[in-house]
Amino acid sequence: MFLKHIDLTTALRPSYLDGEALTFVQDNVGLYEGKYKLPNQQKGQVYLTTHRICYVDSQEPRKHSVALDLKDIERYEFYAGFLKSSAKVTLIPKPAKRASLQSRAAAAAFSPSSPSPHSSARASPAAPVQATSATWVCTICSFPNPVPSNFDPTTANVHTPLPPCLACGIKPALTHVLKASINNATSRQPAPGIPSRPQSGFSPLSRDRGPTVDGVGGSSPSGADFSPAASTPDLNTGAGSGFQCPRCTFENHPSLLSCEICGAPLISQEVSSSITPVTPRTDSPGPILATGNVTGLETPESVKISFRAGGEKIFYERLKVCMVQRKWLLHEAPPIPRANRAAEGDNGTLSRTGSGAGRTKTAGIAGLEQMGLDRRRNNELMIGTSFEDLEALMASAKEIVALAESFARQVNGGSDNATTEANALLAESASQLGLITTKDIVGGGSGSASESLYLSELSRNLAEFLTDDARGVLKKAGGVMSLVDLWAMFNRARGGVELVSPNDFEKAARLWEKLKLPVRLRTFKSGVMVAQSRDRTDEATVKALLSWLRDLHDIPPDSEVSWDWQEFGRGVTAQDVAERFSWSIAVAEEELEMAEERGVLCREEGIEGIKFWENYIDTGEYRKRSRRPVTENDRILADLKAAGLL
Amino acid sequence: MSTPAAAASGAAPTTFDFPREYHFPPFFTRQTNVNTHRAQLEKWSSLILAYCAHHKLYKLSLSAAAASSSSNNNNDESPSGGAEDLFHNRKLNRRLSTADAREVLEFMRKEGRAEFVGGGDGSSSGREGGGGDVAWIYWKTPEEWAKEIESWVDETAQKGTVLTLYELTQGEDTRGGSTFYGLDPDLLQKALQVLVKRGKAQIFGQEDSQGVKFF
Repeated sequence: MFLKHIDLTTALRPSYLDGEALTFVQDNVGLYEGKYKLPNQQKGQVYLTTHRICYVDSQEPRKHSVALDLKDIERYEFYAGFLKSSAKVTLIPKPAKRASLQSRAAAAAFSPSSPSPHSSARASPAAPVQATSATWVCTICSFPNPVPSNFDPTTANVHTPLPPCLACGIKPALTHVLKASINNATSRQPAPGIPSRPQSGFSPLSRDRGPTVDGVGGSSPSGADFSPAASTPDLNTGAGSGFQCPRCTFENHPSLLSCEICGAPLISQEVSSSITPVTPRTDSPGPILATGNVTGLETPESVKISFRAGGEKIFYERLKVCMVQRKWLLHEAPPIPRANRAAEGDNGTLSRTGSGAGRTKTAGIAGLEQMGLDRRRNNELMIGTSFEDLEALMASAKEIVALAESFARQVNGGSDNATTEANALLAESASQLGLITTKDIVGGGSGSASESLYLSELSRNLAEFLTDDARGVLKKAGGVMSLVDLWAMFNRARGGVELVSPNDFEKAARLWEKLKLPVRLRTFKSGVMVAQSRDRTDEATVKALLSWLRDLHDIPPDSEVSWDWQEFGRGVTAQDVAERFSWSIAVAEEELEMAEERGVLCREEGIEGIKFWENYIDTGEYRKRSRRPVTENDRILADLKAAGLL
Repeated sequence: MSTPAAAASGAAPTTFDFPREYHFPPFFTRQTNVNTHRAQLEKWSSLILAYCAHHKLYKLSLSAAAASSSSNNNNDESPSGGAEDLFHNRKLNRRLSTADAREVLEFMRKEGRAEFVGGGDGSSSGREGGGGDVAWIYWKTPEEWAKEIESWVDETAQKGTVLTLYELTQGEDTRGGSTFYGLDPDLLQKALQVLVKRGKAQIFGQEDSQGVKFF
């Protein structure tokens, strides 16, 4: 289905994919499917990320939250709202698109019921210019696209993700791109920059690949029609290249919309009816696409997001940007090929196999050195190629970032260990923070409305930051963390941009309780505020403290003590407790005082400072004794009675 | 003959058995928790009562206790009149501060188990030491003493006879059995006043040679 159920984080925000980043949040939105409201998705928040649009329901977030991938969106429209109807953004999913050329191509290629079952093969000579800028020509709109810089013809397979056409957004078939790049490689020497037509030489390859691609995805319109001479469907059907008019059977040029001779519309009604059951898949059948679109049958006509509290304009603008940027392609981008890309054509393959064989052979120190050398060379290559042009940099951004981080870590490795650990944590968290809420991300009306949304988002953000298992911020702090420490850490993790003011921070922390997040803010009686997980109660803390103190009865103290340590154990300072439970000292003090307040511990003030002991003073019997003055007479009576009995 | 003493638990004549809390270091620190503090006061109160009963101390001087304990030179526990080892645990090297001790006494006063000498009847001790330095420790209240004296008089069939106060507390007759042998004269006065009020006794005579007649 177009709308997919999503997983939420502990803080009830969508859990993000790798490399996904939040761009906009707006609350108080509702969803429509076509004209109809979706009953369960009428009040919630919409998160626009670089990859998806997520709707998180405010009533039952776990049940009714949905998301749709931006890559599935064909078109998006903006409706400004009228009178009582609120502004909406309509998202039209890809599988249901009605673009004429697209559907015709699809229908022509796949539906047997189509009157002209000929492929809309177009002459699309691959126009290789240079090794780095090989182009493939879109079979739909004939726009020459650059072959992705990380596309390696020797390693590419069915699962290699391919970017769609820059002009029309239709994904090319693998064979098409493959051919273009190989073409480029081979035709470099004879005539760089001149379109060559060696398609016939490659057509067997394409024919071999074509059916497998079709078998997986069920659709590959462009897979076989890169060349009129060798177009597979044409060969199969035994017809020429072109689009046969259903009325006069004239074979028209495939880009024509109506018959050149009789003027009959070439987009027949059967086309649209025939696609619906088949659900044409114009995309390349990459694994992610395949999983994403398995339930493509339930494709809605359109999905509308109704903005009842404003924010639609920013959302629309950001959506536009996201659709242009197509960051999800980056996410799907394969790693930089390890082979030397500078080596061209078959040379490249030769050198790679050579080095590969060499690597396996060497062993020992020489092997290690060789490995290091290879790695350095590869890094050098990666950096070198990445900066060749911006396009390439975008494609390999992920790798470059990882490389830069590893460099940074190596640099830090030189300094002393204590700071290294902190730095590593910091670097880690900075990169993992991923989804940060900033004031301009959050939409909404003006004034207090957007402020409260910002705070609630910040609150969720914080809760995620705290509870994230990978980072384990709270865990490392022993389950309790003072708000000041957290604030510092959080802002440092943000890397110096979009810092949160202490005021906002406190307000956001106070919202934890209200938003039912898994962390809670606790204020000690001294006014110190700490963040701790919700399941951590005072009882549990007291229990932990007590059991530790009880253990001390069995552990002989370090130095000679004057009291009977087997009976009383020993006193502990806040420092001891902080060390034992890896709390901060301020937290330890507060926890101890909390326990004291509950009468579990008692204090001893001495020259060494305040020590806390198990409470042997208030052992409960005084409550009986305190009643003694009252029961004095009773006691005498009891005595008398005893005497009387005697 | 031995009527159960109210608080005197230590039966050994020479060494006093301190309760368990006395060996617990935090016992010497004023507790902040209200409940714990209350328990602490109770325990101190019963400790003081038991201690005084054991050593037959009728008055406790805070400054004296503090001063004697501050001289740390002799380590053996010698309960010589003062209460140097009461507020000061030498073994633990912990001491209840004078202020805290006064708080304990104040608590005991409210419970009717102590009375500041300066605050009560104008007595010989005077008022030096910051408003009640010396306090009566009523391990037996004057009423209880009065009852004891009365029952002793009953048992020894001395109703109607006149006894001097000295006889009562230091005399040969009381040395053996009675619990109030060696009772502080001022406390004895208080006890007898109770009896006088009830009409059970009459005090007459001069300053030095007072006599009492029981009815």
